Amino acid sequence: MRRYVFGRVGQVILTLLIYITLVYFLLQAMPGDITMMYLSNPKIPQAAREELRSQLGLDQSLFIQYVSYMKNFFRGELGVSFSQYPKPVWDILMEKLPRTFVLFLTANILSFYIGFVLGKVIAWRRGKIIDHAATVVGITFWTAFYPLLALVVIWIFAYNLKWLPLNQFIDPRLWTAAPFTANQVFGNMVCGAAIVAIGIFLIFFYLLRGLKPSRRSRVYAWSATAALIAAVVFVAVRKGMLIYIWDITRHMILPVLTLTLINFAGTMLLMRDSMLETVQEDYVLAARAKGLPDRVVRDRYAARTALLPTVTSLVLSLASSMSGGMVTETMFSWPGLGQTLFTAALANDYPLATGALAFTGIFLLIAHFIADILYAVLDPRITYTGQSGI
Amino acid sequence: MNELAPTPGTGSASLTEPLWKIRWKLTRRSFAQSWEIFRESRIGMIGIILIIAFGIFGALWPIMINTVWDPMVYDPVVGFDPMSMHPSPPSAAHLLGTDPIGRDILAQLMYSTGREFLLGVLSAVITVVIGTTVGTAAAYYGGLIDTVFMRIADIILLFPFIPLLVVMGSMVKLSFLPFAVIMGVLGGFGGITIILKAQALSVSVRPYIDAARVAGGSDFHIIVSHIIPNVLPLSFLYMMFSVTSAILSEATLSFFGVLNIDMSWGMMIHTADVAGYLFDFARYWWLWAPSGLAITLFCAAFYMVGRGLDEVVNPRLRKR
Amino acid sequence: MDTLLRLEDLTMHYKTKAGWVQAIDGVSFSLNKGQSLGLVGESGCGKTSIAMSLMRLLPNNAKLVRGRVLFGGQDLYALSDEEIRKLRWKKIAMIFQAAMNSLNPVYSVGNQIIEAILTHEPETSEEEARERVKSLFELVGIPAERMGHYPHEYSGGMKQRAVIAMALACRPSLIIADEPTTALDVIVQDKILREIEDIRCKINMSMIYISHDVSVIAEVSDVVGVMYAGKLLELGPADDVFKKPRNPYTYSLMYAYPSILGEKHDLVTIPGEPPNLLAPPAGCRFHPRCDWATKECAKVEPVWHEIANGHYLACHNPIRTEAVKPCVEQVAATGNAQVAATGTVTEMHQVTAKGGDGNGASGSN
Ligand SMILES: Nc1ncnc2c1ncn2[C@@H]1O[C@H](COP(=O)(O)OP(=O)(O)OP(=O)(O)O)[C@@H](O)[C@H]1O
Ligand code: SF4
Ligand SMILES: [Mg+2]
Repeated sequence: MRRYVFGRVGQVILTLLIYITLVYFLLQAMPGDITMMYLSNPKIPQAAREELRSQLGLDQSLFIQYVSYMKNFFRGELGVSFSQYPKPVWDILMEKLPRTFVLFLTANILSFYIGFVLGKVIAWRRGKIIDHAATVVGITFWTAFYPLLALVVIWIFAYNLKWLPLNQFIDPRLWTAAPFTANQVFGNMVCGAAIVAIGIFLIFFYLLRGLKPSRRSRVYAWSATAALIAAVVFVAVRKGMLIYIWDITRHMILPVLTLTLINFAGTMLLMRDSMLETVQEDYVLAARAKGLPDRVVRDRYAARTALLPTVTSLVLSLASSMSGGMVTETMFSWPGLGQTLFTAALANDYPLATGALAFTGIFLLIAHFIADILYAVLDPRITYTGQSGI
Repeated sequence: MNELAPTPGTGSASLTEPLWKIRWKLTRRSFAQSWEIFRESRIGMIGIILIIAFGIFGALWPIMINTVWDPMVYDPVVGFDPMSMHPSPPSAAHLLGTDPIGRDILAQLMYSTGREFLLGVLSAVITVVIGTTVGTAAAYYGGLIDTVFMRIADIILLFPFIPLLVVMGSMVKLSFLPFAVIMGVLGGFGGITIILKAQALSVSVRPYIDAARVAGGSDFHIIVSHIIPNVLPLSFLYMMFSVTSAILSEATLSFFGVLNIDMSWGMMIHTADVAGYLFDFARYWWLWAPSGLAITLFCAAFYMVGRGLDEVVNPRLRKR
Repeated sequence: MDTLLRLEDLTMHYKTKAGWVQAIDGVSFSLNKGQSLGLVGESGCGKTSIAMSLMRLLPNNAKLVRGRVLFGGQDLYALSDEEIRKLRWKKIAMIFQAAMNSLNPVYSVGNQIIEAILTHEPETSEEEARERVKSLFELVGIPAERMGHYPHEYSGGMKQRAVIAMALACRPSLIIADEPTTALDVIVQDKILREIEDIRCKINMSMIYISHDVSVIAEVSDVVGVMYAGKLLELGPADDVFKKPRNPYTYSLMYAYPSILGEKHDLVTIPGEPPNLLAPPAGCRFHPRCDWATKECAKVEPVWHEIANGHYLACHNPIRTEAVKPCVEQVAATGNAQVAATGTVTEMHQVTAKGGDGNGASGSN
């Protein structure tokens, strides 16, 4: 296992290098030399130009420029944003990254879970009404025009029902007198959520192991979970953050909902197909012969192995889900990577746009990596020795 | 499982008939068989019907503009109807209303249909040609070729298309054809290569490939006449999915206004959006509903055909 | 002796695009406690179908046309889903034809067996179940420390033994073994056969042993049933059937080769091909291939009746003496060619047997 992980890490680093190189050349290939833009941008004061010139190595050959770009990139010096001068690109992106991360992670976990459960249920009841209905709904969402879907969601929930706030990350009226910045609160929120998630995982992993966990350990597990959540909420209340956390959460619901709607159908349809294949396996028949209850056969036998190809395709679809995420962020003015990339691109803020593009790539690379490891954990047949990727 | 594999019965026939004739017969028979299976899939048939309907709808455009419609008024890009306030709701003159600058929505919808077909099919064909070639070559030769192309595929898989194209679009406004080609190429070297390579790999280890090799077939001959026919059904399947993704990408990018395309379904919604009519969503429904529906239905149609084909390619999905 | 299982006129058809496949037609027999029945017949004659109807595990396109399956006096097809689920494995366990694939690849072998025990005996603790699996592993000859391993880490023979251990886990009163040894080499096969026999005697369990290999059947069964094209043609005590076969089909099975118990051979050495079950021949289904056939055979279906104590037969012209052996010359003449063609014949048959692809792996070794 360790060798496998190290091998994958090596590949990830290599891919990352190539990716950044490509982004660099994309930058170079654009008409109207980037360097000229830097130098002629009226927003940049004269004093800063000389510094920029040497930092970018503009006097040197293309190769030296490339090397210095790479060096700077890995030192976190991505240049200065045109549109938000003189804010460094790195700082801007670091501020946005967690927001995209949370949106992406929440929506992807939700949509994968929902897709997985629905796919398994409809495959199990193949040919029934629920199967047809879910397939039609799934195809509709899968091929829906994302911006329009976002508009529909906004129109229904924010405009018509007025359940949820319309747009953006926070409600400015509430935050004018706030003792915290939105980022502080957000950071705390993410930490809290992470603690709860890891805690629940550990609790269930240790207390509910084995094929037949006793009644008592079940009770322990649930009460420990409740206690953990209560503790986290208590801390938030003590810090006086609860109301702000609630505000951010409220603003998150619609983007998460939209992104989930965009993504769940792919998983669902795939899971259905994958499951239709595994239900024909001999070991599923054998499981039924063993007299296992229907649900156990479905969940532990058919669905468990059907999960594997679905995870593979999740890996393949991460990039497209990122694209969907960008559309969602833009439509909801959710200030994350995608929205930043989009506004920067429209404002011809090339350093910020390419920086965001590079970050998106890194982000996906890490997501890929995690999904790969997850797959290896899920499939005992994977041998970790000397495997080279695909 | 694969209908193209040599069947025992045809051995004797080859003595009397020329080879190409047998090939042709086999192909036709396998096609007929596949069609039989495909017809069983309800979802695939709905897809086909939808595509035909779109085809007819798109074919109506040249007829309408040359006979019934006055080009001055009904031109999808520069037309203008001086008779009413714009955007106007559906009326007898404009069955689906007009857009904020006085152009007929139905005309735009029809005009765009043909172009969406062109875009989708062109980029899908490019994707599939590249994917099939590269995938088979990688599977057959292995080694360096395999490694290089698989790494490329890895990286392309990493590239989020939409953000990438937004950044590119901010530098050079892509027009229709270059966009189709870029989508096709990116798709072709991306995930589809991996899938088709896996399929080609499962074919190239089959005994009859070895037999062909022993019998002295050249690499090219073996690839073209033995491996590719077995990969092709799967390629065709992914072609359908490629159409879907090309159209959706175009629509999204048009909506954000980063493409240099004069008219498309995405552009229609873009027009309504920049003029601010999408805020009053329900009232100006005719500005977004026809094109939005068209995008979804069109993509769904190809997707459904893909699913129908899936049952042909993958017997384990069939009912029995 | 107590009757454990009774089949009464069991008739089951599969619905396919081409029509109804008459896979089981009017099969009746009964099995006593502790007895072992060997079912023998060519590939595609409906052996697995019978096994599946006994487990009530038929696919969706199967239709029970007629007949009853009585297990311990209960009609299996009158039970509720929940009742039949509880009965499976606890009372009737099965070793599948595709034993290699009947283990879930993502759980350890030990856990899969423990799971079966815990499902049917909820009062058992996990530790007790684990202990029991350990002793089962010893019984079938797998080192107990391999319990935690995954199926892909097992060899074919070990998987086979694990599947046998699994079938024994709940001490069922009936085990159906559907060609449990086809995928194994002869030595391992013999060993496993002997183990199964041992275990069966030890715990006084009934068994239905399915095979297309007469010599295997001879080794393990008290009672032998001969199937042809969805019908039982003869059934009786092993000694009677082997020594004094009355049905010509049985006869050609037994005497196609000089020694029954020595050499192993496939059934496909009988000239001709088994009929298409979509439209089986009228009268006796064997008549196109039967050397004893008379005009009557092509028209009238022979009746299933008892000819001696526990010996049943369906034939218009039962063989009375052992004098004539018309098959022998024929086989001697065509024998070699037949043997060479065996593989092909089996394959061709499998190609024609639409939909039965689950059994594809069985025929040729
Ligand atoms: N699910 C099914 N649908 C349609 N026909 C089937 C199905 N399963 C089996 N059959 C057909 O029913 C007949 C009996 O099949 P069965 O599997 O019972 O044969 P078998 O005696 O077990 O053969 P083998 O020795 O090859 O395992 C065959 O003709 C087969 O093609
Ligand atoms: S009934 Fe006739 S055809 Fe059938 S086995 Fe007996 S003799 Fe042969
Ligand atoms: Mg069988």
